[in-house]
This record gives sequence, structure tokens and C-alpha cells, in this order.
Amino acid sequence: MSSPDFKQNYFELFDLPVAFSVDTAALGARYRQLQGEMHPDRYAGKSDLEQRLAVQYSSRVNEAYNTLRHPLSRALYLLELVGISGEDVSRQQVDGGFLMMQMELREKLESLGELVDPDTVLEHLITEIGDDLRVLRGTFATAYGAGEHSAAAAACVKMQYLDKLLREAEQLEAELSEKRA
Amino acid sequence: MALMQIAEPGQSPLPHTVRRAVGIDLGTTNSLVAAVRGGRSQVLVDESGAAMLPSVVSYAGGSPQVGAAALAGAADHPADTLVSVKRFMGRGQKDALADAARSHYQLAAEEGFVRFVTRAGKVSPVEASAEILKVLHRRAVSTLGGDLDGAVITVPAYFDDAQRQATKDAAKLAGLKVLRLLNEPTAAAVAYGLDAGEEGVIAVYDLGGGTFDISILRLHRGVFEVLATGGDTVLGGDDFDAALAAWLRQQAGDPALSAGEARALQSVARAAKEQLSADERVSVDLSRVFAGGPAVEISRDTFEGLIQPLVKQTLRACRRCLRDAELEQDVDNVVMVGGSTRVPLVRAAVGDFFAREPLVDIDPDQVVAVGAAIQADILVGNQPDGELLLLDVIPLSLGIETMGGLVEKIVPRNTTIPVTRAQEFTTYKDGQTALAVHIVQGERELVDDCRSLARFELRGIPPMVAGAARILVTYQVDADGLLNVSATEETTGAEASVTVKPSFGLSDDEVATMLTESFSHASEDMSARQLAETRLSGWQLLDGMRAALEADGDALLTAEERAELETGMTRLQELLNTEDREAIKAQTETLGRQSEAFAARRMDKSIRQALTGVSLESLDEGAPQ
Ligand SMILES: Nc1ncnc2c1ncn2[C@@H]1O[C@H](COP(=O)(O)OP(=O)(O)OP(=O)(O)O)[C@@H](O)[C@H]1O
Ligand SMILES: [Mg+2]
Repeated sequence: MSSPDFKQNYFELFDLPVAFSVDTAALGARYRQLQGEMHPDRYAGKSDLEQRLAVQYSSRVNEAYNTLRHPLSRALYLLELVGISGEDVSRQQVDGGFLMMQMELREKLESLGELVDPDTVLEHLITEIGDDLRVLRGTFATAYGAGEHSAAAAACVKMQYLDKLLREAEQLEAELSEKRA
Repeated sequence: MALMQIAEPGQSPLPHTVRRAVGIDLGTTNSLVAAVRGGRSQVLVDESGAAMLPSVVSYAGGSPQVGAAALAGAADHPADTLVSVKRFMGRGQKDALADAARSHYQLAAEEGFVRFVTRAGKVSPVEASAEILKVLHRRAVSTLGGDLDGAVITVPAYFDDAQRQATKDAAKLAGLKVLRLLNEPTAAAVAYGLDAGEEGVIAVYDLGGGTFDISILRLHRGVFEVLATGGDTVLGGDDFDAALAAWLRQQAGDPALSAGEARALQSVARAAKEQLSADERVSVDLSRVFAGGPAVEISRDTFEGLIQPLVKQTLRACRRCLRDAELEQDVDNVVMVGGSTRVPLVRAAVGDFFAREPLVDIDPDQVVAVGAAIQADILVGNQPDGELLLLDVIPLSLGIETMGGLVEKIVPRNTTIPVTRAQEFTTYKDGQTALAVHIVQGERELVDDCRSLARFELRGIPPMVAGAARILVTYQVDADGLLNVSATEETTGAEASVTVKPSFGLSDDEVATMLTESFSHASEDMSARQLAETRLSGWQLLDGMRAALEADGDALLTAEERAELETGMTRLQELLNTEDREAIKAQTETLGRQSEAFAARRMDKSIRQALTGVSLESLDEGAPQ
């Protein structure tokens, strides 16, 4: 890490308890407060060095905010804090049931083009994936809170799969609406 | 450079002096300058009372002419009268050719960035833009009654790194101190937001002469957070003109036109277009374009049919931007910016799209400059208690080339800036001492479909077996949206030297040469002035350090560190009594470097005080060299 290492982890930096569920209003308010102090604009008339440092501080705050703001990156970060790296997470075994479900969803997504009314099906699919993701987030939060880190990692890798799928589905939806317009 | 002048964040070291700062909207068609005076941001006008300066530079005569006078000669000297140069800023020869042909410019046949061939020689878009900026600079100095402390220059939000760098170079060439490059839609939001004391989500739709931008921002207690931005840097009113011109020519039976006639047709088309914003029907007299040209009638309906595809294109960008913003609510307000938003079809389409009546209260021509001036006023420290803060994003993803001509994304679009990302590389051959890195900008997967920003080589990697070296490359996008790259080899700590060769745009050396060239006609007593300036910065450093030592020397320095600094100060003090500019300069720099750690600790301390509950690690080892 070439930016100055703040001693604290991202949660401490944002005055938040180290847990999966975050108070998004507090997160946003703290973000604005931190940037209010550290943003390079606050040092525009100062020396080159101070401006450079401000860029580093401010970058670090942005990085922390982005990590905490999104559930998946937040989960990955929480695991990192207990010594489970992103690579460890992707190496997690996924149970057969989940893989089946995941494949079915993917097949549905890929065969959309052949349907007369892809929109309704797609909308359904997106809701379905969203619901599954919510369940997984719950599982992650409980496991992590109870200190069951490998169970948390197992939930996290599934979150990763579904998150990717969701983004592909949303991309498709965007393309469809683009075509209609 | 007064390294030690650390005041509390946001507090000006000289509270009683009001500094002169301006905001400049360097537009494709028109440029403006504004300043905060008596607590209000307003545009500055020229002797004849005009605020807008046509962004036109003529090289037909001896010295370059700018503005209305230059525009008058456009039809007679099409190749020497540069209009819409902003469309060529930071662009490569290859992708600018089509645009140039349409504008009847001749481009110099050379690799790299664009240069126009004119009667006065080869001219780059950066130089032409600098001429425009010089006029506005002079106007500001005479209106505000003295030299400027700095300027905020606006750029389309969708400008890439090369286009931003080119804009900054132009400002430097015009002798301006650039406080910040500010995105045009963000500037407009500031002008509106502050005015109305709004809270909520704002969409800014900016359709000017040559560029289109859409930005979605959240405003919360003076903090403007850009959520997403999108657009097209080569779509605007110029394209409406071109569509109408093509149609008019068709109506006249497709006559062959000279370059001058084509220019004339364009300006006739533009006038008709603008008239159609008010009238349902317009008659265009083409005999003003070429001998025997007919009079052609055009209705607003027909015109709208011609521009419909272009308007749709802007709405597609709006849709994508909305998606990127990941809003959980509707947009509260839609702000219209740019002359082309006067076209009724544009207003209606945008209103429909967002299901909101767009705001047009502030003159769409002036709103960008007005917002930029507010930001400039804050950045020079005129508003120590101001709450306003702008958090902007990078408009296009940054990536590097990987095997097979593919792009690996490093910083995705719409990431809040400043942003720092590090990436580790290794060697693939035994004893390999160099590594090439190619940085691109854009959303596509293939390198060839993205914009090439820079290629550089990491040299001096200590020879090791393949895969053993660990080279950490750090990409940093600063608050201007500009990229900086640095690299170190981690196992040995060797700093690999990075030579960033901009694919287009100017290298620092080129800017330096151009600066020297433009200064070469200046005063004889250059060396005397240089000595005075060098002395001044020496004195400033000494003053700053004395105050800093007094305030924090005991708390933040060991006795040894303090003694070392004091020795350096005494040495500088002695040199300041001599005429030896080089020695003064060298010692000022040395002392400046010696005091960096101290300055960092002081900054750390002041931030820590401001944020009770946050402690930052001391920075002496963290700062980049
Ligand atoms: N009444 C009008 N109706 C239609 N178009 C108009 C009207 N007034 C101005 N325009 C167009 O607006 C454009 C200029 O707008 P503006 O001055 O905002 O652009 P700019 O800031 O120079 O360009 P950009 O922001 O793209 O760099 C021109 O194409 C001009 O023809
Ligand atoms: Mg504009």
C-alpha cells in the first residue's frame, strides 16, 4: 500500500462497529465529514507536499467508503480482517445444490433471446436473484457475527456468484430497454 | 513554494487579503470568465459589455485574433480561422481526420496529436485555446484590478485524461495558475444548488456547441457528490448545424461548394437553427452562400426530424448514467445547461425522459462559468468557513493492456476521485530488467477500441529468476481527473524509473519549450526578476519554517531533527544575502525536502485535531518520493 497506512481499519475510520450490517446514513455522513477535512480542495493553496498527502488521504477515504458501501465488497473485507483473503474465498467449495440452481438461472438468462416476451421473464429472474442474495447476506451476517468464519466465507463465495449473475441480468435488461427506445 | 505554511484546513494563512480568482468556461463555441464579487458570482464583460467570447482564433493576419473579429473572417480564410478547436483537444491525428475535413482544416501530416496548418505555421489546439484563455485572462486582470491568484477551468465531464491534460496545458500557456479542472455539469450544479439551497438528487443535462454531458449528483448540506456521469465529447449544436446544412444543400440540388462556401453554409444553417427555437418556420436565403442559391423554407417539424436521432443519442447516455447512479429514488431536479438546450425538442425530450420540468432559471450560457467562479473563490481561500465541497468521479474506466490485446480494468468509470490503485506485476523471463505497461481509457474489452493514454517502460528491475520480482505499479487519479503513475520493485525496494510517454498531448518539456518561446519576447530584466522571485520563495520558506518551529517544533521534532533544520535555515539565510540565484534555489529546495517529514506531521496533527476520534499514522515513511 503506497498511501499512508492509517492504523485503523475501514470500520474504525468510519466510526462503525465491525459487523456486516452498517448504518448507511451514518456511513454517508461520516464520509462527507472525512472528505470535508481531507479532500485536496481543502489544500488547494497549500504546498505541493500537502496537496500530495491530501490526495492520498482522500483516496484512502474513498476506497474505504466504496468498500463498506457495497455488501459484497464489505463481506470480502470483513473476511480479510480475520485473515481470509479474496483468493481463499474463491477457492471455497460450493455445494452441488447451489451449483445446480446457479446453472439453471444462467441457462434461463442465456435462452432469453428466444422468448417473445423476454422482459417479464427477465424481471422475474432479477427479483429471484435479488431474493437469493438477500438470504445469503443474512447467512453471512449471522455466521460472521458468531465467529464462524468458514461458514461466512462459504456464504460469501455464493454471494460472489449471484452478484455476477445479477449484473449480467441487469446488463441484459439495459440492452433490451435500449433496443426498445 | 511555502512548504511550511500550514494553517488549519480550510483556513487561509492570510485571512484579511481577498484573493483574485476566476472561473473560466472554455467552450466549443463561446468562452466566458466569471468571478465572485461582493459575495455574488457574476460573469465579467468586455469593453463593449459582452460576456461571451466566441471561441474562434484567426491566424490569417500577423498576430492571432480572437473572438468576434476572428469570426468575421471565417468565410474568407476557412483554413486559417479555427473554430470549435475544443473538439480537437488532446486528440490523435487519426481519430480527428474526419472532423477536420468537415471543418475544412488542414492537419499537419505527422504522428501523434493534431496540428492545424495555417498561414502562421502549424498550430496545435492547445495553442489556439491558449489564445482564447489569454483574452479572458486579460479581461479578468483589468476588471478585477490586478494579477490573478488562480483560475478554475471547466471541462466536459466526459473528457478523458488526454483532453484534460491538453486543457491544463493551454491554461498554463496562457499564464494562468490552474487551481482545479472542474467538470462543467458539476459547476452548473453548484451555481444552482447554492442559489436554491437545494437538497436531493440533481440531473444536469448539458448540450453545448460541441459536447454533451449528463451528470447525476446528490446534494447534501453543501456537499455535491457526483454519482455518475456520461456523455459524448463530440456531440452538440455543431452536429445540429451539420445536419441542417446537409439538408439545405440537398434542397439546393447538391452543388459542389468551396471551403469558404461550406463555412458560410454552416453559419447560415446555425442562424436558421437558432431562429427555429423561436419560430415555427424559417426561410433560408442560399444566395448568401453561393451565387444563384435558392431560398429554402424549413419548418420546425422538418428540423426536428433531422436532429431526432442526435437527441435520442443523448437520451441513451442519460439512461445509462441513471443506471450507473444506482438511485433508490427519483431525480428531484433537472438542470439545463448549454445553448443547445434552447431547442424546444431538446427541452421536451429531456422533460419527458426525467418526468420533470427542467430548470432554466440561470442563463444556460453563463451557469457553468458562474459555478466555476464559486469553486475558484473557495479554493483560493476566500471563504474559510464555506461548507461547499465537490466530490467528482472519473468518467471513463482506466485499464492496462494484457495478453492478446485485452484490457484489464484498474479503475472503473464513476469511481470517486481522487483514487489510488496499486497492482502487482512480475517478470516472465530470467534476468528480465524491463517491463512495458500500456495504459488505456474506455469501456471496451479490446485495447484497440479504447483510447491509448500512455505507454511506459519500467527499467532497472534487478535481475532475478522469472516470477521472482514483484513490481508494484501505483495509479493515482488526482482531483483534476489526471493520472499519475509510479512504480517500485518490492523485494529489493528498487525504484524502477517510469517514463510516461503521452500517446498524444504535450510532454512537460514541450510545455516548457512553448512557455519559453512565448516568454522570449518579454522584458529584458528577466534575470533580475528571476532572482527576485527565487529570493522571495526562499524568504517565504524561512518565514514559514520559523512559525512552524515555534508552534510545533518542540512537540513534533527530536532535538537532532530540529538542529538539522536550523542549520539548513542558517545556510539559506546567508545565501539570501548574495546574488547567487542558483545557490539560493538549490538550498531552498534542499531545505524544503528536509522539512517534508515535519510538514507531514503537522498536517497529520491538524487533521487529527479536526477529526476527534480519528488517528492517523505518522507519515514520514509513507509519503512518495
Ligand atoms: N436559441 C438557440 N436555439 C438553438 N441553438 C442555440 C440557440 N442559442 C445557441 N444555440 C447553440 O448553442 C451552441 C453553443 O452553446 P454553448 O455556448 O453552451 O456551447 P459551448 O459551451 O461553447 O460548447 P461546449 O459546452 O460544447 O464546449 C451552438 O451550437 C449554438 O448554435
Ligand atoms: Mg459549455
